[in-house]
Amino acid sequence: MTEDRSLDAAARGRGPYIRRFTPFQRTLHILVIISFLGLVATGLPLRFAYAPWATDVMRFLGGPVAAGLIHRLCAIITFGYFLAHLVNVSWRIFRKGERHLLWGPDSMVPSLKDLRDLVQMFRWFFGKAPHPRFERFSYMEKFDYWAVFWGVAIIGTSGLFLWFPTFFARFLPGWVFNIASIVHGDEALLATSFIFTIHFFNVHLRPEKFPIDTVIFTGRATAEYMEEEHGLEVERLRRQGRLEERVIEPASRAAYLWSLAVGFTAVGIGTVLIVLVLWAVLLR
Amino acid sequence: MRSLTRSLSLAAALALAGLLSAGAAAAQAPGSGAGVVQCAKCHADRDFLAANTTRPGQDTALFVPPDALHGSAHDTLACTDCHRGFEAGFPHRASRMVVPCETCHEQEGKDYDASIHARNAAREGDAPTCVGCHGSHAVLGPDDPDSPTYPLNVAGLCGRCHGDPAIIGRYFNGPGAEQARIAARAFPKSVHGIALTRDGLVVSATCSDCHRAHLVLPADSPRSSVNRANIPETCGSCHAGVERVFEASAHGRDYPEQPGVAEGHDKPVCVDCHTSHQIVRADQPAWQVSTVARCGSCHEKLYETYFDTYHGQVTRLGFDLTAKCSDCHTAHDMRPATDPKSSVFAANLVSTCGQCHERANANFVKYYAHGDPTERTQYPRLYWPWLFMTFLLAAVMTFFVIHSVLWMVRVAINRGRRVGGDHETGSRGPEDREGGR
Repeated sequence: MTEDRSLDAAARGRGPYIRRFTPFQRTLHILVIISFLGLVATGLPLRFAYAPWATDVMRFLGGPVAAGLIHRLCAIITFGYFLAHLVNVSWRIFRKGERHLLWGPDSMVPSLKDLRDLVQMFRWFFGKAPHPRFERFSYMEKFDYWAVFWGVAIIGTSGLFLWFPTFFARFLPGWVFNIASIVHGDEALLATSFIFTIHFFNVHLRPEKFPIDTVIFTGRATAEYMEEEHGLEVERLRRQGRLEERVIEPASRAAYLWSLAVGFTAVGIGTVLIVLVLWAVLLR
Repeated sequence: MRSLTRSLSLAAALALAGLLSAGAAAAQAPGSGAGVVQCAKCHADRDFLAANTTRPGQDTALFVPPDALHGSAHDTLACTDCHRGFEAGFPHRASRMVVPCETCHEQEGKDYDASIHARNAAREGDAPTCVGCHGSHAVLGPDDPDSPTYPLNVAGLCGRCHGDPAIIGRYFNGPGAEQARIAARAFPKSVHGIALTRDGLVVSATCSDCHRAHLVLPADSPRSSVNRANIPETCGSCHAGVERVFEASAHGRDYPEQPGVAEGHDKPVCVDCHTSHQIVRADQPAWQVSTVARCGSCHEKLYETYFDTYHGQVTRLGFDLTAKCSDCHTAHDMRPATDPKSSVFAANLVSTCGQCHERANANFVKYYAHGDPTERTQYPRLYWPWLFMTFLLAAVMTFFVIHSVLWMVRVAINRGRRVGGDHETGSRGPEDREGGR
């Protein structure tokens, strides 16, 4: 990796390209990016209405009515990808019998190994152990996944309350909208803070990957990248003789450049938004 | 013979009567009478004045056109009704013996004498007297469009002095005189000023309607029409309906004191929300939005909690979309929620909230429009969710920030070690991922 300073972490190092994400998963993540950026950009000026930038951002978005429409449109996209994912996973588990999605090394479900990896990671931080080797999903990626899962459920539900208050008031007392506002805003702030700092750091900005990793956009990465990031998975596939079926041709030039553009744009917008958050929080 | 004598004496009597009446008329009716004719002989003759005066400009000052009073409110007066002591004929001496206006205009004179103008006219010499505003000879009534005191002309008249930086600097340089300093500049742009100048509405308020024409007093004087205590009445002289509602509201004089509400503040009067010289139409969005801050200058806690809601957030961004104070509490009839007449009394909330939220029901209005989640005893339903979310946010971010920082430090240490030539052996993968020993 030292001799290959490709801009893209997923393109660095030796070996053939290994497939990591399906086109369906890549599409869902693009939808996550678009809708999340839209939701955050239109929500932040409200949450930090007192900040000096808030009015200008709201004007830029076209005012509260337009911002509200964008916010709801992005919410619909969010519900859409959430539902699509649930259907896809259910179908794979129950119709195609891919029970390994629920347990086993491929699963997103937290396991004891994740806890051990976390402990070992901290020991590595202090130079007391080697870096843990990860399966298909590291504990950080699992946290990202479940954070979005929990976030969409919580923010989505509270958001629906605030979207249709008179409907929900048919059977719920009005103060649930106070709670919905608190939960919606605070969970959204957590998601914003987490995604635009921790998630960005873990997948793009930490020294091993800086400045970008396109694996989620192209769906593929070099064998060396996969060895480093998901060594146990590669080892397992090789042992099972299934590594060959995961080998895939490199992304086309156009797809690669497009991925870089999308990645940098998303990280750039996210960084601007988190700077606005910090500005507002420090000002308070 | 007898009849002739009678006829002659009758003719003489008639002639005498005619002469007498002509003389009397001449003494009182200017323009046609002998009095004016006599004064005008000299004072309407520029050549004569020029030849018989010594100081430069004196001839112009003494010049009075023969029709000076014609068509004025004083059309029926003779020169000597005001300028006494000149009946003796020519040459007469210059004299200040002018009959005071208050001889006839008794109330106006009394009011003027009590005014700040009179005091400053006596002390400083640069404040207006009667003629300063009304002119001297061609004095027209306030109904005459040519009069300086005609409603459409008053602002210009007052502005001659009150728009003069020298006068403003001398009399209105203190704190709290901001409204006085900007008055002449701001008033024409106010709703009252626009009504006068653009719409030509003579019924719109001008300077003298609020400050009075003659009893002009500074706002800190208890007798002043613009003293805080008198403002509702002053504005109410036109806005009578609002005054009645306002005085009965929690802000009004007739409302019993409420304990603990906006402590340390006077009850507001009209100008506290509307300003005095910058009054704009109350339905202007920008004003609607800015008024929230005025309510908040006393209702501090409610102001704070308002901005925690979507209502307040949109308002704070400067957009007129969501409910502002007066949308729920009304503009003039605000009352505490305990008052059955209040728009925010429990039984009235469905209709109040329903103004915007169609289909709002009894459940819906249980929303806390000013809920404070940090108040555990008052809002326990909000406190615990808020505490949980705050803790979650702090815990997750703290943990992962530490995680990331340690990661950075470890990579930096490993790279430093590599640069130093101390190559690790037995470790898997590149240097960044090396373990310690």
